[in-house]
Amino acid sequence: MQQTAALHISGLRFKYAGRDRANGESGGYCLDIPELTLAQGEQVLLTGGSGTGKSTLLQLIAGLMDPMGGTVTVAGTNVHSLRGASRDAFRGRSIGMIFQTFNLLLGFSAEENILAALLFSSVPTGEHRSRARTLLDKLGINKPSALIEHLSVGQQQRVAVARALACGPALVLADEPTASLDPENSDAAMELIQTACGDSGAALLCVSHDPAIRGRFKRVESLAALRGTSQGAAR
Amino acid sequence: MSDFTIILRSMRARMFSTVTTVITAAVAVALMLVILSLKDAGRKAFDRGSGDMHLVVTAGGSSPMVAVLNCVFYANPPRSPLSWPQYEQLAKRAPWAYAIPTQQGDSYAGQPVMATSTDFFAKFKPNPGENWKLAEGRFFESSFEVVVGAAAAKITGLRVGEKIHLTHGIKQSTGLGDAAKNEGIHVHDEYTYTVVGVLEPTGGSHDRALFTDLNSTWIIHAHDRRVREKPGVATTEADLLDEDMKITGVYLRLITRGGSDTPANLPQVFDSLRRDGSLTVAQPAQEIAGLFRIVSNIDKLFLGIAGVVMLSSGIAIMLALYNSMEQRRRQIAVLRVLGASQGRVFGLVITESVLIGLLGAATGVLLAFVGANIGAGMLRQSLGLVITPSLPPVELVSVLVATVVLAAVAGMIPAAVAYRTSVARSLRPLG
Repeated sequence: MQQTAALHISGLRFKYAGRDRANGESGGYCLDIPELTLAQGEQVLLTGGSGTGKSTLLQLIAGLMDPMGGTVTVAGTNVHSLRGASRDAFRGRSIGMIFQTFNLLLGFSAEENILAALLFSSVPTGEHRSRARTLLDKLGINKPSALIEHLSVGQQQRVAVARALACGPALVLADEPTASLDPENSDAAMELIQTACGDSGAALLCVSHDPAIRGRFKRVESLAALRGTSQGAAR
Repeated sequence: MSDFTIILRSMRARMFSTVTTVITAAVAVALMLVILSLKDAGRKAFDRGSGDMHLVVTAGGSSPMVAVLNCVFYANPPRSPLSWPQYEQLAKRAPWAYAIPTQQGDSYAGQPVMATSTDFFAKFKPNPGENWKLAEGRFFESSFEVVVGAAAAKITGLRVGEKIHLTHGIKQSTGLGDAAKNEGIHVHDEYTYTVVGVLEPTGGSHDRALFTDLNSTWIIHAHDRRVREKPGVATTEADLLDEDMKITGVYLRLITRGGSDTPANLPQVFDSLRRDGSLTVAQPAQEIAGLFRIVSNIDKLFLGIAGVVMLSSGIAIMLALYNSMEQRRRQIAVLRVLGASQGRVFGLVITESVLIGLLGAATGVLLAFVGANIGAGMLRQSLGLVITPSLPPVELVSVLVATVVLAAVAGMIPAAVAYRTSVARSLRPLG
């Protein structure tokens, strides 16, 4: 029996209102992906230069924007068929996001950042604290009650990863996670993200234009190659 | 972790803005409450001063309201006196429960002295249904004995057994340029009074007065006259002439029946007395009501000001939240990414606004309590009005509810901004 894919994209098209690209091939769409599939637990690096729509793609997958056409299915659910609060709830429990600037909640402790993610999930309230503690331990966050702004960048990164995985998502979306790190730290960060996703069984779609991390992925896709082709070749 | 924790953290992260907004709301609430509380308390204090009398009579020529303010509230000693025969005639004109003569004009340490009969303590009730109570000593029984009101005792420090000299007239002020106004003021140091009693507070104007009998007052004034004619002379009761026996007012109460405090014949008696041009007749209850009709316009003005302050504090809450929305766009976007719905972030912002309103209201109640007590203290010092600030629960609750509703309304616009925050745009990397 075929397993449900962590992510399946089909015929996805998007353009910003009022903006038409002078790119005849893609029919004016800034994003045009005929097909992309991530199996459960699969880790894929998606490359592309600045402004090619990598972050937009992640927002579309997370259901934060609506496409002009096509479908995005995460763990068997068509994201854009859900509306309003049910789409938000689905995102909360099925998709984890990691950002370049972490986007942690300032004024909250490390533990509270993880608890905030659990607050909007379907995880029973009684399990929140123990789940957060386990993740904090596992990811080596040694000051769980310290305010996030008082933690080192490395620790903040760990909290961001822990938060993305808190609800046991099927898919983790990482948006340029190493863009603000030096090569040594970026390798450590990717190791952390990939190991944590691997341990939790979540698939990982990492968008980046950082060539240094290519070697860490078995499968690398280029946004340009995806455009207009059925599926990029595995490298 | 709950939505409430998120709100508290958000408020803590913007502590300065939160605190200043809470203070703005608190000042508005306090102002509103102080005005409401002093308004009611002021009214009560005036009601208490007139006690259970139905009428007050002074010499003709002044207005009824002035008669009440002077005779009952010690605003100024009445200028024209009534003669003793006038009083005796008045006392026979109706079936009075009491007709108590009063005479003002002297003072002690700035506190007014009222000379009266023993009926003042035996029959006149300072509050309806309440008799005079002594904190110490007894009521006066003979001449040159003084009973001190509660506030007067506090201000002057007088205790039972102390010997005092009264001052003719009441000093208006100790400031420069008041010499002319205070002309004729002198101490009656030939006659020594003994304090025999100190009264319990009544909450009315009489608390700041001292009381003695009419005879001693007549004697010291007759003595002034006789010394002018023949220095070195001594004066006793036997030397009193009719012209020395003057009073400045009469407290009157008609006999009542059947538990009603307002006798049926009050209007007729009032009308018949009013036709006598040598008298000014006033019904204290009506005059006080009239006074408060005038004052109520000022009340309305104050209430209006307080309302505007409350409204502006609502706008301040809105601006504080709205300005913080710029800083909070990212936080809201992150919450949305974590699975919070638009409705939930709308609720978070509204709840934060309501919480600021509630905190402001609670702080305002505290401020009002302190403020009203300070205000009451000032009124006691300057006007002798003993006010116990109190706020009817209905008004208290109304102000609190109004504050919270206003805060919720103020939170609408920032909450709508939060609702419409574009997650995609707000999460772009900084720089």
